[in-house]
Amino acid sequence: MFDQEFLERLGEAQQRYEEEVTKILADRGPGHTTFSGLAVKPLYTPRDIEKTDYLADISFPGVYPFTRGVFPTGYLSRGLHIRQVTGLGTAEETNQRWKFLLAQGANALSVVPDDGSGNRADSDSEKVIGLVGRGGVALDTLYDYETLFDGIDFTKFPVHLISTNAYSLACYLTLAEERGIPFRALRGSMSNMIRPETECLDILEYCAKHVPLFNGGYLDMRNVREGGCTAVQEIAFGVATAMAGCDRLIEKGIDIDDFLHRITWFVNAGPEFFEEAAKFRAMRRVWARVFKERYGVKNQQSLLCRMHCQTYAPTLTIQQPFNNLIRSTVYALAAVLGGVQSLHVNSFDEALAIPTEFSASLSVRTQQIIDIETGVTRVVDPLGGSYYVEWLTDRMEAEATALIDRIQEMGGAFQAWNWMCEEIRGEALKIQREYDSGERRLVGVNTLVEERDIQTEALQVLQRHAHFEAVHEYQPAFVEKQVRRLNKVRLERDPGRLEQATAELTETMRAHRNMIPALIGAVKAGMTRGEFAAIKAEVFHKPGEGPYVCSPPLVLA
Amino acid sequence: MSGTIRILLSRDDWYHQRGYWVVANALKNAGLEVILGGIQTPAEIARTAMTEDVDMIGYRIMQASPPMVIQKLLEEMAARGIEDIPVVVGGIISDKDEAQIKEMGVRAVFHSFDRLEDISRQLLSIVSKQTS
Repeated sequence: MFDQEFLERLGEAQQRYEEEVTKILADRGPGHTTFSGLAVKPLYTPRDIEKTDYLADISFPGVYPFTRGVFPTGYLSRGLHIRQVTGLGTAEETNQRWKFLLAQGANALSVVPDDGSGNRADSDSEKVIGLVGRGGVALDTLYDYETLFDGIDFTKFPVHLISTNAYSLACYLTLAEERGIPFRALRGSMSNMIRPETECLDILEYCAKHVPLFNGGYLDMRNVREGGCTAVQEIAFGVATAMAGCDRLIEKGIDIDDFLHRITWFVNAGPEFFEEAAKFRAMRRVWARVFKERYGVKNQQSLLCRMHCQTYAPTLTIQQPFNNLIRSTVYALAAVLGGVQSLHVNSFDEALAIPTEFSASLSVRTQQIIDIETGVTRVVDPLGGSYYVEWLTDRMEAEATALIDRIQEMGGAFQAWNWMCEEIRGEALKIQREYDSGERRLVGVNTLVEERDIQTEALQVLQRHAHFEAVHEYQPAFVEKQVRRLNKVRLERDPGRLEQATAELTETMRAHRNMIPALIGAVKAGMTRGEFAAIKAEVFHKPGEGPYVCSPPLVLA
Repeated sequence: MSGTIRILLSRDDWYHQRGYWVVANALKNAGLEVILGGIQTPAEIARTAMTEDVDMIGYRIMQASPPMVIQKLLEEMAARGIEDIPVVVGGIISDKDEAQIKEMGVRAVFHSFDRLEDISRQLLSIVSKQTS
């Protein structure tokens, strides 16, 4: 980007500067290493990006390789989606929370059911004791989905289903049908993490053909990062996993241009500010280059790496809990500067419980203040051109690409899964040891620890005296309420119709045909999620294995 | 007591396993024998604890209601005559739930950012008191 003569003159000046700085910093110990382990210098100059070609590597927003963003105008034409994870109690409580968040100005919705594995028994089963409506919302039947979406116009607000379960999709599609929304016009997305399972691939295949605007594929790298991996691994493991999924679908005879553009990312934004902001830029570039250069993708839309981000949680502390507001705000700013499409900001009480209306509204306000008051969304990719950020972007791209190549040499991400898990867990242990030794500092935990934690005291006072819920407490009464709802459905459905739908679904799955159409039929006949889980267990269970669970070795974090 | 201490580590749900693996690997490195139960119901935990003849049960609770699953676990253990195996818990546990499950008999509750060395030291002390 710079001419040779300039770089030579710069080199001389820089050498003088560096000699001086080395003297000043001589007794300061080793330099800074980023959260993900990249050694950084005290200063960056044009020499650090002298090989970068503006048009080929950085270019314009909306132009390949999309380093500066997937859309030409960034947030100027398409504002940030404020999308807070929601799920508590029964469908009624979650519906009320959604309406509260929308009233606060949230403009996208996300629901987390209480069934992490997607293979959960019904709410009255011994298997789910203590879990009903606690870490998410209890959604056993279509009736629960109807209640959840009551009064919610999902043509107006994008909806995300945090689920790998085809059951959730079938209920969502049935609701759309009930409301007269044609599948071809239906938007939304789900956490269908790319994995070599019939259920995942059926969802991708079905949506590609019948629900073309629905984002049916998902790279949940945010939770992989929560598990411990580095920012570079977040990029590489995600791209490699997408490649493995694409290979499977291509083998099935499906054209990559028919589905790749419907795979979206779930990403993290952690404490190392510039590394995080650069990560999103590097992620977009790696994605575009891999799929253009290695897969020859023709659909330009497929090269757009679109992301929903949730801020990093492992650094949220029980101690001095209001500090978490500050942490999450800084992480959110990195995500916005990095150009994510959609965002969840963790609430300050997430190390204590699931968020209350009070704490969730602060998460919405954080995003609104960033968007409305600071001006950072008014210029596209405002960090572009920073010597440091461009250097970080280049470096992260190079490291992620090398890691992708290594995974490909192992036979691809599905083959390398256990290795990736070990890498992630190894990083997590390393980071914890650094906190334990004090080598890595965390305010309120191993530095600036207070004898008397006035923030905790303040929260306790709120909890005793506020007229609103200050810290969420689980209500075991949710269980009875949910079981009543469930029994109502069981009582009212037509046993003959259900039996027929069950037989048809089982037959379809055994014959390796796409399960979604038959599952929609079963949902309409009143099949519960537990009954679907039982069929999956029966059909997919391999002799000699333990009980069937959804994707056992594939959950990374 | 003779030989290595055997601890069963189980968890309540799929989400967020970082703490589970960090503690499992740290305990392995500290010389304990770790039996990875993975995601288990209280009944499955009690069954595994018995068949694996463990010295201790470590239960990661994050999604579930701690008093509800602990009560069930203790009932299942009593039904198998293994109620003397000490149970420790780690996860997101509120002060109120912590007091309640300790009252029920849980020997220790660990939280995020508890030092790994402190966790293993405390576990060893619980097991040695148990056998002395």
